Amino acid sequence: MTQYAHPEILVDTDWVKQNLGKPGIKLVEVDVDTKAYDAGHIRGSVGFNWQSQLQDQVRRDIISKQEFEKLMSDAGVSPSDTVILYGDNNNWFASYAFWLFKMYGHKDVRLMNGGRVKWLNESDKELTTEPTKITPTQYRASDPDLSLRALLPEVLKVQAEKRHNLVDVRSPDEYSGKVIAPPGMTETAQRGGHIPGAKSIPWSTAANADGTFKSADELRKIYLEDKGVDAKKDTIAYCRIGERSSHTWVVLKYLLGLSNVKNYDGSWTEYGSIVGAPIEK
Amino acid sequence: MNHQTRVYENVFEMMPDEDNPTPLVRVNRLNPNADFPLYAKLEWMNPFGSVKDRAAWFLLRDLEERGELSDGRGLVEPTSGNTGISLAGMARARGHHMLAIVPNKVPFEKKVLLKIAGADLDIVSDELCPAPGLGDGSINLAKTYAKAQGHKYVMPNQYENPKNVEAHLKTTGPEIWKQTGGRVTHLFTSLGTCGTVTGIGQYLREKNPKIKIIAVQPTEGHDVPGLRNVSQLSVSRLFDPSLVDEILEIDFNHAYTRALELCQNEGLMAGPSSGLILEGALQIAARDKSGFGVMIFPDNIFKYTSNMIKHIPELKPQDAKVEIP
Repeated sequence: MTQYAHPEILVDTDWVKQNLGKPGIKLVEVDVDTKAYDAGHIRGSVGFNWQSQLQDQVRRDIISKQEFEKLMSDAGVSPSDTVILYGDNNNWFASYAFWLFKMYGHKDVRLMNGGRVKWLNESDKELTTEPTKITPTQYRASDPDLSLRALLPEVLKVQAEKRHNLVDVRSPDEYSGKVIAPPGMTETAQRGGHIPGAKSIPWSTAANADGTFKSADELRKIYLEDKGVDAKKDTIAYCRIGERSSHTWVVLKYLLGLSNVKNYDGSWTEYGSIVGAPIEK
Repeated sequence: MNHQTRVYENVFEMMPDEDNPTPLVRVNRLNPNADFPLYAKLEWMNPFGSVKDRAAWFLLRDLEERGELSDGRGLVEPTSGNTGISLAGMARARGHHMLAIVPNKVPFEKKVLLKIAGADLDIVSDELCPAPGLGDGSINLAKTYAKAQGHKYVMPNQYENPKNVEAHLKTTGPEIWKQTGGRVTHLFTSLGTCGTVTGIGQYLREKNPKIKIIAVQPTEGHDVPGLRNVSQLSVSRLFDPSLVDEILEIDFNHAYTRALELCQNEGLMAGPSSGLILEGALQIAARDKSGFGVMIFPDNIFKYTSNMIKHIPELKPQDAKVEIP
C-alpha cells in the first residue's frame, strides 16, 4: 500500500484528542456558518464563519492579506503554530480554509480527517459550548501565493489550449447542465453545463462513508487510472463556488502529490455567467 | 377514561392501542376490485395529528421513566415535522422544553405548527450537496446539542431508538390484527425512520408468516415530506430488510395526484404520503388479484397545501397574488 504524497497534512481524531490544549497547536472549526460551532465544538477551538470571515464582504474575492492577518491575530494564531482545521459538510469549508492558509503562507496547517461529523460520532470525543480563551497575536502573513489559485483569464486560456487537466467536482446533474446549482442554493450562474474538456469527478468520490479521505491507492485508481487525470499535466479544479473544489484540490495536490494544482474559486458561478465563454453540456 | 363515551381526563388517555384503535376505512371508488379490498388506517386521527404520535409517546415516556427529563433538561430532535409536532405537543403538556432541528425543505405549514406546538426551531440546510453515506445535517446538529449541552438536552433519536419500533409492535400491529379479524394479507406502508414497517412487520409476521409487508417509497429526488428513498435510508438503524417482502418505487408525482383523488372521491382528506401508498397498493392489488390490504395513511392533507400547489398548479386559487411560501 502506498502512502499519501504528503501524509503530514492530515491528523486523525485520536491525534487531536491526545494533543488538545498543547502549546503551539491551534484548532479551528470552519463551517458554512457558525451554527454548529455554537451548538458545540472541540474544546479550545475557535470558529470561523466561511460566509462572513473567509471572504471579502464587498467584492467577490478571498479576504485580503490584511484581513487574514487580523483574523489570525484575533484568533490567537501565530505563524509558528500548527493549525488543525476541521468543519462541517465533510471538511469542505475547512479545505477551503486550508487552501487560504496555504495561499497566505502559513507553514504548518493540517486537516482533521473526517471533520466534525467523525468526531461527533465517536463516543470518547467531547464537545463543549465553553468559549475559548484567546490571547491575540500580531500575525504577519506572506503575500498570496497565486500559484495555488486559478483566475478567469487563465481558465479561459487553459480551456482553449486543452493542455491541462480540468476537474469538475460538482454533482453529475450540475456537470451535465440538468441543474445549474443544487436545489435551494442561492449562488447560481446564468447557464448550466461545464467547461469544455473538463472531467466529471464529484468531490465525494474521494471520501469514505465516515467522511475520511480514501486511501492513496484508491485515490490513485479513481483519479489517475479510471478518470484519466494526467499526473504530468497542470491541473485546475473547480466546482460552483470553490469550496467543494478545495476538497479535491487537497486530494490532488497533497494526497496524490500532483505538481501544479490550482483551485478555481470563481468556479461555475463565474464561468457560467461569462458572455461568450464556451460551454459543453 | 372511557372509550365508549370518549370522555378523557387528559389528552394522553386518547393514545391508541388495541382497545382504542385509529379507524380503518375502506377505499371504495378508487379501488373497484372486490377481491382485493383496501383499508386505510387513518393515523391522522391520533391526538396530535399523525402516525408519529405513537413513536413520540413511547420515546417520551421511556425518557421520563428513566429519569432523563428532569432539572430543566428537555428534548432535542431532528425532525421533518410530524415527530416534532407530536413530541413538542406532548413534551410541553408534560412540562418539558423541546428544540426541533428542521431541514429547510420542510413545508412552511409544518414549521409554523412546530412553533405552535411549543418547539423552539433550528432550521438547517441539508442540501448543500448530496453526500452519499453521510448523516443528515439536521441529525448531526441535534447530536451536537445532545453531546455538548447534555445538561440541557437529551435526544430521543427516532432513527436509532428501538422504542420507535416497540410503539408499533405494541399498538399498530395488534390493532390491525384485531380490526381485520386476522384477514389481512398485505400491509402497505412508507419508509421514513422505518419504525412503522419494522414494528408492524414483526407483529404481523408473528401472527401469520405469509403476510406480505410492502414498503412504498418515492423515486429519487422526491420532495414528499417525511419519506425516504432507499438511497436515503442509511440514516436509520431501524430498517430490517428481512421483514420487507417488496420495496415498490413509485413516481413521486403520484403522491400528490392520488392524495387529491382520495380527497375528492373518497372523502378521505389524505396527505401526499398516503397518496403514494395508495398508488403502491393499487398496483399490487392489480397484480395479485385477491387479498386483503391495509394501508398506513400517516397524515392528512392540511399541512401540505403549499406542496400540493407546487405539484398541481391548478389548485392555486385564481386570486392568489403572492407566491405561497
